[in-house]
Amino acid sequence: MISFIGRSAVQKMITLFFVSIVSFLIIHLAPGKPSQVDPMNPKFTPEMVERFRSEFHLDKPLTIQYLYFYRDLFTGRTVSWKDNQSVLLKIWERFLNSLPLFIVGTILTWTLSFPVGIRSALQRGGNFDRSSTFLAYLLISIPGFFFAYVLIIFVVTQFQVPVIGMETFGIGSTSPMTRFMDRIWHLLLPSVLGATAGIAVLSRYVRSQMLEVEGQDYVRTARAKGLPPDQVHYKHALRNALLPFVTMFGLILPGLIGGSVITESIFSWPGMGRMAYEAILARDYPVILTVNFISAVLVLIGTFISDLLYLVVDPRIRL
Amino acid sequence: MLTRRLLIIAPAVIILILLQSYFWVPSYEQQTRGNPDRLVQYITASAGDASILNPILSADTASSQIQSQVFDSLIDRDKDLHFRGRLALSWDIYEEAFFHMNPTAAVPGLSSSDPESVAGLIRSAAQTPGRWSGAVAESLANIQAVTILPSRTFSATHAFKGPEGAQQVDAQISAPARVRLVLNRVDQDLFKNLEPLLGAEYFSSFPSDAFLSTDVDLPPEQLSVLAESMVPAVEHNPIIVFHLRPGVRFHDGHVFDAGDVKFTYEAIMNPKNLSPRVADYEPVKAVEVIDPLTVKITYKRLYSPAIGTWGMGILPEHLLNPRALREEAERLDKDPATFTLRQSRFGRNPVGCGPFRFTSWKSDQYIRLTRFGDYWEGPPNYTQYAVRIIPDPLTQEMEFYAGTIDSYQVQPHQVARLSEDARFQNFSGISFGYTYIGYNMRRAPFKDPRVRKALGMAIDVDKIIRYVLHGQGERITGPFVKQTGYYNHDISPLPYDPEGALELLESAGWRRNASGWLEKDGRRLAFTLITNSGNQLRQAILAVAQDAWKKIGVDVRTDLLEWSVFIQERVNKLDFDALILGWQMGIDPDLYQIWHSSQTGPYQLNFVGFENKEADDLIIKIRQEYDHRKQVAYCHRLHRIIAEAQPYNFLYVRKWTAVLDKRIVIREQGPDGSPVYRKITPTKTGDYAYDFNKWIKLPGVPVFAQDG
Repeated sequence: MISFIGRSAVQKMITLFFVSIVSFLIIHLAPGKPSQVDPMNPKFTPEMVERFRSEFHLDKPLTIQYLYFYRDLFTGRTVSWKDNQSVLLKIWERFLNSLPLFIVGTILTWTLSFPVGIRSALQRGGNFDRSSTFLAYLLISIPGFFFAYVLIIFVVTQFQVPVIGMETFGIGSTSPMTRFMDRIWHLLLPSVLGATAGIAVLSRYVRSQMLEVEGQDYVRTARAKGLPPDQVHYKHALRNALLPFVTMFGLILPGLIGGSVITESIFSWPGMGRMAYEAILARDYPVILTVNFISAVLVLIGTFISDLLYLVVDPRIRL
Repeated sequence: MLTRRLLIIAPAVIILILLQSYFWVPSYEQQTRGNPDRLVQYITASAGDASILNPILSADTASSQIQSQVFDSLIDRDKDLHFRGRLALSWDIYEEAFFHMNPTAAVPGLSSSDPESVAGLIRSAAQTPGRWSGAVAESLANIQAVTILPSRTFSATHAFKGPEGAQQVDAQISAPARVRLVLNRVDQDLFKNLEPLLGAEYFSSFPSDAFLSTDVDLPPEQLSVLAESMVPAVEHNPIIVFHLRPGVRFHDGHVFDAGDVKFTYEAIMNPKNLSPRVADYEPVKAVEVIDPLTVKITYKRLYSPAIGTWGMGILPEHLLNPRALREEAERLDKDPATFTLRQSRFGRNPVGCGPFRFTSWKSDQYIRLTRFGDYWEGPPNYTQYAVRIIPDPLTQEMEFYAGTIDSYQVQPHQVARLSEDARFQNFSGISFGYTYIGYNMRRAPFKDPRVRKALGMAIDVDKIIRYVLHGQGERITGPFVKQTGYYNHDISPLPYDPEGALELLESAGWRRNASGWLEKDGRRLAFTLITNSGNQLRQAILAVAQDAWKKIGVDVRTDLLEWSVFIQERVNKLDFDALILGWQMGIDPDLYQIWHSSQTGPYQLNFVGFENKEADDLIIKIRQEYDHRKQVAYCHRLHRIIAEAQPYNFLYVRKWTAVLDKRIVIREQGPDGSPVYRKITPTKTGDYAYDFNKWIKLPGVPVFAQDG
């Protein structure tokens, strides 16, 4: 066990090192430079561009830039080129904003998908299965931004309540309870929106996994010995069907920092996805690279966690 | 079964909690109509967040929108786009001109050319200008005083790029005596007009090199460049003296004075601050505080855009001077050596002397300002000013309908619908930028102006405006802002005339061959038209132009490139035939970077390679002319030259439309102290927010007398 953790940690460090090089190279070799260095503004003289380049270390060779960047990152001194704010602080702030969306969305996805998927697997070909299949494909194929617009226009015109942002603008002076509920309300649309696509996809997986497992001998045995159907499906079958989801569950961790660009932009939600997207557009290298690095770390931690989870759910695996 | 129940109950509970919150949320109705506070708040939306709220450091529109409310400048532009005093009550512009005595030149009518007699000659000519004709007399009459500055010797170190990289040279300079002329107004032709008096060669034959000796041997051309910069034959030093408004206070109560103006200038020029505005202030030679309410700015050379640069927000010196920065660095436990204005908390907590004071800023959510009661012009009517950051235009629109945003920038396709909506008042105007098709004049078919003109005539721009822009655009014929006097309205746009285009092309040697393509010397008229992807208007124009040109037999290929590839690989490296792009312009008519022939190299902005001797001359003259009337005349001429050469086919300038809630009106103090209301009227140039400080929102839609 300990040796597994140790080996895994070393492997992941090596992977991380290569990820850091590759992501650094991709961003620096991609066309486009920060507007301070590549201006289409007659007012920017070559001397100023030169000064910005040296301030951002862009005049140094890539290897030196790489070392500077990761030295600053690990000492917590990285600052955004856009506004000179500390990148880690910025990310932390946005992370806290994205977190509620992520939590509610994830809980909804991972709880609702299972009963829906299981039920349609059990009643394969029945009405419920057909309608849920139809709905799932509808939700998968409808573009997220369009669905969001439809929802916003519907809620705003029918209920006359604000849905934009994290809270109603200018709510400042009311009671804490109202403010809290107001925030909850603003969570509703974006998180439901985020969850619907997830539920649609995940319930399809659950359905196909359950179908596979339900045909196995041990399920027939369980049924044959007279266990109540719920226990057969939810204990004997589901447990075995869960194995592939362990991997997926580990991989939702990076979603923490990814956020959703479209949802966050449409709902004016000051989250991670929007910040990263705007940083990419502005070629704000420190922000892009830091987000990149953190998500790489989260992916690796996620896979590590799913490795450990396999230990728990699959008794055949021993390390 | 526990698992099953959990999987169903948990999401159900969450959804219930989410849904019940609906009953707690204030509806739009409560927020807007039922809420008297809402009437004294102005809320607007911005697609992007501000970057840094320090006027000398930021270069984005969201930041400058906030800065214009928080900071005040020495001057700004009035309804007619003329300069108007704000923190400056008034200002004087005059000039000090210098020339070195030329020992080698003989002055007509003078036996010896010692400083005294040359100065005497000018002095007496200045007193009797009538003996001279026209322009010379004018220049002479403009001379107010003539003084002699003695010769001097000094040494200087000069860095230059030699064969072995960066080198330094020590120069010993023994400059001859100089004559200083104080002029009533700036006169760029002074020395030209002194030539009849002092001899035609007096200034041009001045041997700068003779007064300079260096410790290292320099190549002769570098030596003369150095000599001319150290001992110039002539020098113009325009001077602006600002008389400041007394009793103006910053938001923290500190009194504004000339020191703040000087500090703002120094902060911009301080290389540590990396200000993007350095280029504007580089021509400044010195900023002197004469007394707390007078500041004198001397310029190194003639540079008329200089006046406009003082529309810059003034920083409070007492909060940002080196001592204050050092204290802040120590408080925040940062290294004082690397702590600059960029690191200071000021960038997120600005203090200025504008009509609104900064209150709070939540990144990517909103920025709030509160009325400044001690504003020198009287406080604004609104008590709150807020900018909400809403990146999505549809979301902005919904919020505007709901009444939680007071203004909305209408998109072109919505104009027809929204301008008829009875709930809103709408304003429209033309923007400060234009879209064009530019031709690479270094390449074969585009060297001929007839080809460029013919290509322009083949495109129906009015149709582009009608169908692509939904009518929200106007034709433009040249590089100046259409609302200003610099724009020459006598020039008519290229007509849509494919037949005429073919005739023009034929006179240039291009004939249609058997298969209908235009040909000259066996070569087809074929080229590639490019633009950047992501801009739907330009993409549409790309298709329209390709189709129009195909019709007259031009073989056009088109290509869409990602913005940075487009700029770096094609525009900057001058690797294109023709392109569609746009320029965003300022009011000032300085066109040096975009149209002067010295700016045609790679990475420069005259990428089409426009070169015209007369245009070069005019561009320099416009830059150096301080007299608005003369400047306008030069601009009109330059406009004509460019329009005739058609290095660009100037297409259109876009129209913008903004809608406002009808309940927003202007409230002024009547003569008897009672409030007087009137409708918001835009200025001639279309600026509806000119009187913003007098705006207020009423509980109901007002009816004005003129409305019937």
